[in-house]
Amino acid sequence: MTARAVARGSLRWRVLLVLALAAIVPTIVVGVLAISRARHDVADEVQRGALAHIRALGAALDGTLQDARRTVELAASQWADAAGDAKSTQLLVRRLRRDVPIVEQLSILDPDGHLVSGDPVPAGPKLEGAGPAPAPEEDIGSHSFGGYIGDAVFDHGKPVIHMVVQARGRTGELMGVFVATLDLGFVHDVIAAARLGPGAQVLVVDGVGMPVASSDPVLAPGSRAGDPVVERALASTVEGTMSQAGWVSAYRNLSSYQSLRGVRWAIIHRQPEAEAYALARRTTRDTIVIGAAALALALALGAFFATRLTRPLADLARRADAIAAGQIPDEPPVEGPGEIGTLAHSVDEMAKRIAERAELASALARGDRLASVGVMSAQVAHEINNPLTTVLGYAKLLLEDKPEGHADRNALELIADEAERMKKIIGSLLEYARAPRPSEPSIGAGAVAGTSQPAQVLGHVAALVAPQLKKVRATLATEVTTERRIAIEPSALQQVLVNLVQNAAQAFTTGGAIVMTAKPAPGGIATVITVADDGPGIPVEARTKVFDPFYTTKAPGTGTGLGLAVCKHLVATAGGTIEIGDGPNGRGVEFRVVIPNHP
Amino acid sequence: MRLPLLCLALAACGGGEPRAERPIKFLHTFSPRETELFNTTIAERGLHVDASLVPFARGHQVIEELLRAGRNCPDLIRIDATWLPGLVAAKLVVQPPPDLGTGWAAIAKDLAVVDGKMWALPQSIDGLVVVRLAGTPAPATPAVTDLITAAHVSELPHPLGVRVDGYWFVPWLRNEGVDLAPAALDGRAVRALRDFAAVFGGLAATPPSAGSEAPDELRRWNAHELAYWVTGPWQLADLRDRDQIEVSALAHAPRGGQLLVVPACAAQPAEGWRLAKELTSERVSLIFSDAFATVPTLAAAEAHATPLVQRMLAALASAEPLPREPVTPLLFDDLNPAVAAVVAGDATPEEAIAGVQRGWHHLVTR
Repeated sequence: MTARAVARGSLRWRVLLVLALAAIVPTIVVGVLAISRARHDVADEVQRGALAHIRALGAALDGTLQDARRTVELAASQWADAAGDAKSTQLLVRRLRRDVPIVEQLSILDPDGHLVSGDPVPAGPKLEGAGPAPAPEEDIGSHSFGGYIGDAVFDHGKPVIHMVVQARGRTGELMGVFVATLDLGFVHDVIAAARLGPGAQVLVVDGVGMPVASSDPVLAPGSRAGDPVVERALASTVEGTMSQAGWVSAYRNLSSYQSLRGVRWAIIHRQPEAEAYALARRTTRDTIVIGAAALALALALGAFFATRLTRPLADLARRADAIAAGQIPDEPPVEGPGEIGTLAHSVDEMAKRIAERAELASALARGDRLASVGVMSAQVAHEINNPLTTVLGYAKLLLEDKPEGHADRNALELIADEAERMKKIIGSLLEYARAPRPSEPSIGAGAVAGTSQPAQVLGHVAALVAPQLKKVRATLATEVTTERRIAIEPSALQQVLVNLVQNAAQAFTTGGAIVMTAKPAPGGIATVITVADDGPGIPVEARTKVFDPFYTTKAPGTGTGLGLAVCKHLVATAGGTIEIGDGPNGRGVEFRVVIPNHP
Repeated sequence: MRLPLLCLALAACGGGEPRAERPIKFLHTFSPRETELFNTTIAERGLHVDASLVPFARGHQVIEELLRAGRNCPDLIRIDATWLPGLVAAKLVVQPPPDLGTGWAAIAKDLAVVDGKMWALPQSIDGLVVVRLAGTPAPATPAVTDLITAAHVSELPHPLGVRVDGYWFVPWLRNEGVDLAPAALDGRAVRALRDFAAVFGGLAATPPSAGSEAPDELRRWNAHELAYWVTGPWQLADLRDRDQIEVSALAHAPRGGQLLVVPACAAQPAEGWRLAKELTSERVSLIFSDAFATVPTLAAAEAHATPLVQRMLAALASAEPLPREPVTPLLFDDLNPAVAAVVAGDATPEEAIAGVQRGWHHLVTR
């Protein structure tokens, strides 16, 4: 990549800029969206997962408590219908302890709250600031006829709850109350068996924020009331999530569970944000790395393709610069796909037209110079012509005075002949130098002053030279494939073409064929008129001189050497060009006259 | 110039952060859908409320224990009207400011009065009525016997919707001239229970399992399996074709309601009454009335209630409140299992009523 190729403002620089923007902007936008989406999705998943976890733990807790309650209720119902037999009551209590392992103590009270069987009535929760402790049976709610699960009570640091179940007989009559103390150690076992994420903790608190169980091996004592997550969990209707102080928490109020209905227990799952969102962080890092790599690859590919795309254009620009500088590049034309190829072709076509115009302009300039030379020559010829006329006149007078055989007669005849020849040369010079005559009538109807209709002029020329061609047994064919008018006086064109046809005819020794054509030049700005013959031709080395004045290949004394010079002068005066080349099939010569079309 | 400087100085001395408004702690027994509307309504009014739900079935016990303990005491509680005498007797609630004692419908205010004094703001009125679809002939009179007669005429297999519950048993009990009181049970109560249990399996479908009564009734009503449904306003919110529902009175039906009380242990009693006033305002009570067909308690609001609510109100006008005694809500703890035992065939009405009598005796003596 050259300095010119990446210069600020260059086409390649701009293409690279566009490609870079096209790659960077979507990459950044997509990357940011992907990162944001990933974080959002991960946050959702973390919260969903945590909620699912605590729902499962809550359901396990509820299931165990419900099983315990149903079993105790069934036992209470059996006891109520069994009419209070002491032995069967003891048996029932033993069986209940066996069937419900979490039952730590069991007391059976009569409807008045007196102990009938089992353990002494346990002490209820001691609430701070609640005043003197009530009687045990009141404290645990045995006075109530409703089922009951209270807040957690810590018995020597071990969390337990009291469950009160009515013992109603067949008729629905209250026969007594079963008060069971349930060991909540199973909650800890359930939590401990759960597979928690890195750094995650689970905590179960009762309605006053006292921890019932925790995933920590040691349950730290003391109420968690005041912890924002605990407060939020206990105040919530069902469940929710919150992020606070670098922790992601999910909580569920367990009061909606059947076993804990009306008791505001809560289960809380918390995990450090750094651990919870580790996947999001990894996704972010991967997205950035992959995005950067993709961006680099896109930019590299973009640079590669930009170079490939702009190289023909740069070549084309250089070619255009060369053309603008007036040079015709030697390099082959630029090749390229699609529009670039079309553009290259158009530039080359344009260059060709510019060359033609330059050639025409050059010819015009040459014509001007020749015109100046002609004017000067005409003046010289005019000045010479008068004394030469005198010389010729006196030579002829002297000849008339000299009889045949006089010794001076040969000299005088030589003087007269040479003077005559000089006059002829001067006549040709004057003709060469003569300016176009716009006033001359144009050929053909609808003619425009200073313009010719090639078909008409070519036809007229054919008619003029027909007798001369017949003498030398030459044929003339014309072919006109253009209807455009050309910017040259008809007489001038006629003179040029007659001259060229006569030259061809004079070159034949045993007859020949002459072809005269007029067709549009490439680009449509000029018309090409050719006069070709199948004669002996002109040597290549002589071709560069045939348009020079006084150069002739004819026998001495038979040509003035001004015919083709006059032709070139006339064509150049019209802004055209005349060239000589090989004739068709490499035989003879072909004169190629290019005249600008009339606008 | 001095005043702004003084204000700036005070602000600077007062710390960088403004004190957060302390939320009003509200303990309620709304259903989940009512809770949702409550939260929305309160949020729109810019009140900062920390609300907690207590299931209605456990509400009486939990609330009384909470207020007795005095910890985490709410500023306002929504209670059933039958719980109020017990809370008043235990001096667990306080009277509202005098300016909140006016404007109530008479039957609403009665619910909030104990011993001649107003102790609560009535939030809604409820009770048992007979609901039927327009086109179903109304019972000849509100009497239970005419309801049974009308149900017999129906061609539906089990046209009567009645729940196996002591509250539903009250009209049958009162029809025999007995009210819900510990000392009043006699042979008339046995007869009432026998009549009540007799409707099940024939006029009324066999009762579903405990806890699924409400959804079962709703399903049967929506399936047009019920011609006459003894129910209360709490069920109307979930009904289809609410504009085609006709409501008629049931003689001796219990009438009650929901009240808003401020506990004696409330940290912000004035804020509690402010929230209570807002919840019972005409605007809010009509929002709840439109959504759940609850019967508003302000006399001014009743006129703007929907036609269905007004029909409900008219039917409840002849209903009779339950005895205003502290023991009244506890009576159902014995009555409900006894009624269920008889309907299930586990006990005779005589056995069941005798058991209820013994239970109530224990209750009264304790």
